[in-house]
Amino acid sequence: MINFQANIDLIGKSAPFLRSQLSEVSGGFLCIQMSKSGIPAAMVNHHWIHSAYDPQKEAERWAVQQLKNCRPGEVLLIFGVGLLYHVEALKRHLSPDQRVLVVVGNLNELRDCLSVRSLSEWGEEVHWVWGTTSEVVSQITQIAKCVRVLSYDPAASLHRALYEEVRQGLREEMAKHVSGRLHIMVVGPIYGGSLPIAGYVVRALEAMGHRISWVDHSLHAPGYQQIDGIHDVRLRQTVQHKFSETLGIISLAYVAEDPPDLVLGMAQAPLSMAVLDQLRRKKILTAMWFVENFRHLTYWQQMAAGYDFWFVMQKEPCLEAMTRAGAPHVSYLPLAADPTIHKPLVVSGAEKRELGADVSFLGAGYKNRRRLLTGLVGQEWSFKLWGNEWNDPGLLSDVLQRGGARIDSETAVKIFNSTAVNVNLHSYIGEGLDPQGDSVNPRTFELASCGAFQVIDTRTLLPELFDESMMGIFTRPEDLVSTVRKFSQEPELRVSMAEQSRKRVLGLHTYEHRMQTLLSEIGVTYPDRLGSILQGDRQAQSLSESCGDCPELLPILQQFQDHERVELVDLAEAIRKKGPEAILKREELLILMMDEYRQEKRDFL
Amino acid sequence: MPRALLIQLARLGDLVQSLPVISALHSLYPEQPLDLLCPAPLVPVGELFPGISRVYPWDGAFWRPECGAMGHSWKEQFHHTRQVWTQQAYPAYHLAYNLNNHPRGILAAHLLADRVIGQGSWGPINPRLSPWGEYLLTVARNRGKNRIHLSDAFCGLCEVRPPKASPRIFPIKTSLPSGLEGLLGSSGRQIIGLILGAGDAERRIPVSIWKALIQECVDRLPDALILLIGGKEEGEIAFALESALPTGCLNRIINMCGRTSLLALVSLLSRCQWVVGSDTGPLHLSTLCGARAVGWFFSRARVHETGPYGAGHYVWQHSQRVGLSPRETYELTGLPELPQVWPIEETVCLLSGGPVSSANGPWSLWASQYDGMGTFYQPYDGPENLQQIRQKVWDKLSPTLAMTAS
Repeated sequence: MINFQANIDLIGKSAPFLRSQLSEVSGGFLCIQMSKSGIPAAMVNHHWIHSAYDPQKEAERWAVQQLKNCRPGEVLLIFGVGLLYHVEALKRHLSPDQRVLVVVGNLNELRDCLSVRSLSEWGEEVHWVWGTTSEVVSQITQIAKCVRVLSYDPAASLHRALYEEVRQGLREEMAKHVSGRLHIMVVGPIYGGSLPIAGYVVRALEAMGHRISWVDHSLHAPGYQQIDGIHDVRLRQTVQHKFSETLGIISLAYVAEDPPDLVLGMAQAPLSMAVLDQLRRKKILTAMWFVENFRHLTYWQQMAAGYDFWFVMQKEPCLEAMTRAGAPHVSYLPLAADPTIHKPLVVSGAEKRELGADVSFLGAGYKNRRRLLTGLVGQEWSFKLWGNEWNDPGLLSDVLQRGGARIDSETAVKIFNSTAVNVNLHSYIGEGLDPQGDSVNPRTFELASCGAFQVIDTRTLLPELFDESMMGIFTRPEDLVSTVRKFSQEPELRVSMAEQSRKRVLGLHTYEHRMQTLLSEIGVTYPDRLGSILQGDRQAQSLSESCGDCPELLPILQQFQDHERVELVDLAEAIRKKGPEAILKREELLILMMDEYRQEKRDFL
Repeated sequence: MPRALLIQLARLGDLVQSLPVISALHSLYPEQPLDLLCPAPLVPVGELFPGISRVYPWDGAFWRPECGAMGHSWKEQFHHTRQVWTQQAYPAYHLAYNLNNHPRGILAAHLLADRVIGQGSWGPINPRLSPWGEYLLTVARNRGKNRIHLSDAFCGLCEVRPPKASPRIFPIKTSLPSGLEGLLGSSGRQIIGLILGAGDAERRIPVSIWKALIQECVDRLPDALILLIGGKEEGEIAFALESALPTGCLNRIINMCGRTSLLALVSLLSRCQWVVGSDTGPLHLSTLCGARAVGWFFSRARVHETGPYGAGHYVWQHSQRVGLSPRETYELTGLPELPQVWPIEETVCLLSGGPVSSANGPWSLWASQYDGMGTFYQPYDGPENLQQIRQKVWDKLSPTLAMTAS
């Protein structure tokens, strides 16, 4: 017999505020239906959120699956309420002292559940979290500094926005308390647009205090480009494929030599599925920052399942497409700027004369740019066009600078800083503006970071990054010239807007911000791996404090500085330093034995 | 009497070469229960060793960080390791004889026993070696004129004399694949085993050479039945051989590659009169099973250290190329340095009991003998007086054992 009052009394023990609020709502969020097994199930908008056949069996499968990753002693945070079969199943497998938190997305949903399900056997041990996003995050972080998030998707998807916000809050909390130092291997591409971004990522991670191994495959670019000399297409592609495969194996060898906590591949990093599979076997976490348009570069479809984490610069439908292709975790991570490179500069003299202009554009000669930029020629302003891939420039030939040579970063920064109106037109293979244009290009962040004013074509994801007080935004191709004209006549407004955009970059859009988000996302997903390292659990002091069950290690750990990260290799070295005559305890011998096997690399490749 | 433990964590060949020291220890201390710690896959062989009470498996996979049960942090891994180690419930050993000069063997010895004889006897992280440890290291680096067999050096390392007679193992009743039992058991035919594979790529004999040897055997030993012996990895070699051989040869060979467990292999080898192969584990195992061996030793293999143990075996030793060492050749070319010619006809002469010339180009023939100082190899046609050389080594390294050849 279900006793609603008994249920809310039970909830009230740990959450009195929630109890009183539950009494005031009437339910009706869930449509309760009997399942084939004779127990209640539920639907929302004609979609089942529990099995229509046997909700308990389904919940048991979910719980078993989730528990594979959980570690003893972790605090488990559950997204998704429904009829709570999944929480009940999970509780059955846990020791009574393992804490479980359930984030309530909607009071009516919980009320519906409490009307048809009894919590009497297990509900008392659950901690219920309810409130605004910040209240929820605050309640969670007061209970535990590190939680493992488990999502029961059929129910969690009903409140996707809330749960994503909570997750973001947890990421931010983690980012605030980062004290641990990671070893991250950044694997770059052989060439291409993601190559400079790989460099910025490396600088950002180093600036954040992490130890970085950069596998810079651009060193092999001349060799790779030599392959272009093979005329037969199939033959050339085969050789290119083999070349990339070899670079993947080289990356793997670097991992074997000095295993990192995370391998971060940049778009087009030559890591094959075989290499990624091997990294997974070796328990090395992998992430890919795919700084490419998923519609244009589609190799992710074959690689999606290979990386543990994907970070992409587009939202839907990209996120869903990646997930459908098998990516275990996909997150939105827009591009950014490196303010140590893209910074305000005073350009003067001959340089100013060469690089400066009323209006400039720097970029490659895509079709839409050729068409639209022509409108900027012959106007009342001086216009300079910079960049490569401008063969047959037509009307643009008079404004094309340096014969269409490639412009390096340093010169680019000078151009940005000595131009009154920088035009930033996203590339598109059609004639006008990309009708599906969503992601924001790196140039946007770089110009803003330089404190340079820009006129930019609109993108669906632009408003959440910058607003109209920071840059001139036009929405139709025919508005480019008028927008440039408008701002070219307002020098003070330009300066103030550019300053705003620079402030925004420094506050929210540097590569350090991005890396913080990236690492926190991985940390929140894997609290026992990156999460615990970021929180300083591998530092000598923390290890010593948690050494109660192994006092034999305490004297060794005390040899290290409090905040020094201590890994097996360090511990083994400290033991060996005791000298040849040392009499070692069993625990020390076990550490040395573990270290012997850690060094084994014969099956890595 | 308190239990002792012998540790041999290397491969099959080394485990087999450890039987003489086990035999010697058992003879000297018959009341002392002696256990064996060896790689988990080799436990069935260890259990056949006379003188061994219990065999404990050493599972390397358990220690690897990627082992499924291990956590992600070293601390989790350590807790797991310590817990499993405790659950293993190894007996308390007062003494471990350790044959491996590798940190794993040394650490295992110190984890398990109060005192260690052999490698690591000075402590778990003390690089100092015992006299025999030094000797083995010197021989491994620069073979010189060494005439002490590895198995006998193991005895010296464990402070015992080599056994009075070369030891043997006897197969337990293991069923062989159907039909084979009858074929091997009742035919009265000479059975020759060919060990096709080798752990190291550089010790593998090419298919073309095996083919020529089989054809020679078929031609010159009309009653002989030839067993192709190997694991699953050798299946392809055997298949290539079966495809390359004339049809007339096929009814004389039985392909056993990948069809035997270790115990069945022992059973199979014990039916062979002769076994031919390079310096490999199964070749050594065959001699413990009573077969006579003809070894083709090339690359880094050397008759005086690792020739088949006991009397009555032959080894064709290939002389090394002047200039690059086999390892250098391998590193330079990625390919093993293989002999250009092979003593095929001469080997078949040995199998048939006929006279043979002891030299064939870069190959020289050696025959094994056995005395109170263990196994040693003499040139086939001109015995050397090796007693003094061997005596000198034993006197220097184990003066208290008062070794003599008699």
